[in-house]
Amino acid sequence: MSVLDDLVAGAVEDQRKREQLVSMEELKKQAQEAPAALDVKRWLRRDDGIPVIAEIKRASPSKGHLSDIPDPASLAREYAEGGASAISVLTEGRVFLGSLDDFDQVRHAVRIPVLRKDFIVTEYQIWEARAHGADLILLIVAALDDETLAHLLELAHSLGMHALVETHTREEIDRAIAAGAQIIGINARNLKNLRVDVSVYRELAENLPQNVIKVAESGIFGSVEVEEYSRAGADAVLVGEAVATADDHQLAVERLVEAGARVKSSQSTPLSTHEGPYFGRFGGRHVPEALIHALDELEQVYDEAKNDPAFVEELARLHKYYVGRPSPLTEAPRFAQRINDATGLNARVFLKREDLNHTGAHKINNALGQALLVKRMGKTRVIAETGAGQHGVATATVCALLGLKCRIYMGQIDARRQALNVARMRLLGAEVVEVTLGSKILKDAINEALRDWVTNVETTHYLLGTAAGPHPFPSMVRDFQKLIGEEAQSQLREDYGIDHPDAICACVGGGSNAIGIMNAFLDDPRVNLYGYEAGGHGPESGEHAIRLTDGTGQLGVFQGTQSYLLEDEEGQTLDTYSISAGLDYASVGPEHAWLKEIGRVNYSYATDDEAMDAFKALCETEGIIPAIESSHALAGAFKAAEDLKAKGYTDPVIIVNVSGRGDKDVATAGRWFGYLTDDQSKALDANGAHGSSVTE
Amino acid sequence: MTNTNSTPSGQPLGINHRPSPTESMFAALDERNRPAFIGYLPFGFPTPDLSIQAVRTMVEHGVDAVEIGLPYSDPVMDGPVIQSASQIALQAGERIADVFRAVEAVANAGGVPLIMSYWNLIFHYGVDRFAADFAQAGGAGLITPDLIPDEAGEWIETSDRYGLDRIFLVSPDTSDERLALVSRNARGFVYAASRMGVTGERATIGTSPEVLVDRTRKAGANRVCVGIGVSTAEQGSAVGKYADGVIVGSALVHTLLDESGKAARNSDEGLAMLAAKTEELAEGIHNARV
Repeated sequence: MSVLDDLVAGAVEDQRKREQLVSMEELKKQAQEAPAALDVKRWLRRDDGIPVIAEIKRASPSKGHLSDIPDPASLAREYAEGGASAISVLTEGRVFLGSLDDFDQVRHAVRIPVLRKDFIVTEYQIWEARAHGADLILLIVAALDDETLAHLLELAHSLGMHALVETHTREEIDRAIAAGAQIIGINARNLKNLRVDVSVYRELAENLPQNVIKVAESGIFGSVEVEEYSRAGADAVLVGEAVATADDHQLAVERLVEAGARVKSSQSTPLSTHEGPYFGRFGGRHVPEALIHALDELEQVYDEAKNDPAFVEELARLHKYYVGRPSPLTEAPRFAQRINDATGLNARVFLKREDLNHTGAHKINNALGQALLVKRMGKTRVIAETGAGQHGVATATVCALLGLKCRIYMGQIDARRQALNVARMRLLGAEVVEVTLGSKILKDAINEALRDWVTNVETTHYLLGTAAGPHPFPSMVRDFQKLIGEEAQSQLREDYGIDHPDAICACVGGGSNAIGIMNAFLDDPRVNLYGYEAGGHGPESGEHAIRLTDGTGQLGVFQGTQSYLLEDEEGQTLDTYSISAGLDYASVGPEHAWLKEIGRVNYSYATDDEAMDAFKALCETEGIIPAIESSHALAGAFKAAEDLKAKGYTDPVIIVNVSGRGDKDVATAGRWFGYLTDDQSKALDANGAHGSSVTE
Repeated sequence: MTNTNSTPSGQPLGINHRPSPTESMFAALDERNRPAFIGYLPFGFPTPDLSIQAVRTMVEHGVDAVEIGLPYSDPVMDGPVIQSASQIALQAGERIADVFRAVEAVANAGGVPLIMSYWNLIFHYGVDRFAADFAQAGGAGLITPDLIPDEAGEWIETSDRYGLDRIFLVSPDTSDERLALVSRNARGFVYAASRMGVTGERATIGTSPEVLVDRTRKAGANRVCVGIGVSTAEQGSAVGKYADGVIVGSALVHTLLDESGKAARNSDEGLAMLAAKTEELAEGIHNARV
């Protein structure tokens, strides 16, 4: 006989003994007098969390003795305090060392649903459960034939109870559904080696009817498994040993409940209003505790400000009269012709002209928003990092405007290739600190800014320039940039009479201009979204900043957030390379990582060569000199057009976000295309004038 | 849910109820009315072998626990001294898998081995794999400067399974609510930063750590140690009067760096200076309450 057969036989024998003391008639009378059962289905599925069924468990056949549990009632109360949605009480006495007495104690101690967990195969046991006040009973498919299963389920339902129908295989699941099960427990142990395996769960739970509640039953010890099961689609979890043997039972349940709530909130839609800290598996606040106070304060002040009409109005006023918004949406027919020549499409291309903003890029949108928050928080000093210098210039600008003290950290390599922007920041009254630590690029500037912030957090705000870093930055920076897409949407309708674009192209460094133009379209499936990373010398060269293409970035924790990260085999951050300093970053904003994972945005890359070709193409066809960063989006438009063609589009409407202008890049481009002689080039290097130098 | 997470028969590993190793250390020191002296050194600095000699030297000359740092490319909580040492270690070919040799060396010398690591290194190595290797080597607990309890779900679960201590940091501006959260999730002790900022030596230590230790205890922590900025025997003695332990980092690392601060000193000379500095600090810290 199998273990299960033994357990069932023992349970039936014990039941017969009880039946001699309390007759079925007597039991039915007791059951009718018992308070009505709670509607368990309402407790076991919710939009904002993963309900936890916490079990009173002294022993198990596989692990033997687990815990004495002298006082099941107080243990149940601790579970309930921790946020358990239901309590499971083992009433089997031979192996699990439980009893109906345990059940009674628990029933009287808590007001949440209580599950009688036993080897139930007879009507008597079900009436007995109801007589003792059970809301939920366990039925094990493997122990029952189809007819009995259906009959016992019906009896339980007729008494107002529900049944947790336990299954181990897809066949058992199908039998359970055929029998009318509404709550299915899935035991995801790999039967070959008994290991718990979420992929087994995933296979088993596939394509279950929507109205069936799925309870994951095995191997849950902490937030790791709650998260895995929840992401695999489980509605609730049943946890035994992990809570019964914990030092602090309440805390153990609390942690499971919190993990479930976190997963649910990380998946909330609509996408355009999704809030951090979590974007699917990504995001969070991976920072020293010393910064938590400042992040909490920032989040709170920002939440207040965005609902304060005076703040919204002030920001709108500055956008209009200081930045020069709205930025135009310019049709680019001659540039479109290049794309059409290459692809055979009849595409129309529109450029969102963030290059025409004051300071020459989209960065000012975010810098202004945050600087107003700095005033609101009563802080007096602003620090920021910068790569290409655009964010540093924007920050220095708004600090001059609002009378804030400003220090910009810039990697020494970046400072040299963007010397003109360094001068610009100094003109605006900012102190520029060249960072000579680490790789001397953007990430090292951010490290140094974080060190400054940890030290001076009381008076200082870190004005992070992109939709990355710890919460609330990714959500907040997106909010300050999302007007790019909102403007483009209404300009396309009102100025050009086009309802919606078929595609959006943007470059992705940290990802703020991309999320800014995409946000308004995230929930419109008619709009294809394309993000282009810096391909440098190509993915195989090792000299690039491609994080989102398979085989490049890995899941990692970097500078405050969990996202894709370029790292070596030891987890040390890799050096990145791109001709554009602004895209030269080892990680990427968490929302982009999520949008990649859920397949909403297509991410690809443009190499240095491709970006520079597109740079020149736009100069020649439209008389617009784009930033090299934005040129990656322009190069991407050619790739997006190919993709649209493959999808069957013939005359797509494509919007490209020109996130910044290319004045700062003229020396780089002049060298690249041979418009500067060697002597002129050397002269530019020698006097530290403008432009990045092309690495040979 | 990797394989090391289960027993050989395939059962998931249960909660490990071994007592907190650092709590055992504090209890033993309590009998002599002594605070713990915890010394920091990055693994692999100046080379893996020399760093193992160095941690052994520290235990032999008076530290009770060694905080072995894992060098990281982006150490945002560290000042110039530890940044330099970490960079030297990385250039010398430091590998995480070798750190367990240093853990064993500390344990064999009679010290309590702790590891301090930025989270991405552990995350990348594999949290469960790291915990298994660390526990196997005799490790006591992990200090996580950029991991807050809110983000530590996997580590809390894994450390419970391997019986390892979880040491989170708090700082002077941490709210009472956060202190309670950290204390509740900590195992072993809570690491109180003496001031806002990164690691590094300071001429004076204000009253803020004493206030913070007091607030952290009131928030529920059993043991609170103070670090960041403690660099002299005098400071150690002052802090040891009220804290359960005193953590010294940069001042010890400093002894192994040459005058430029960018390269390692001659190794014999360095180890001798490390021994002397350790003894001086131990004298001050261990006699703090006399």
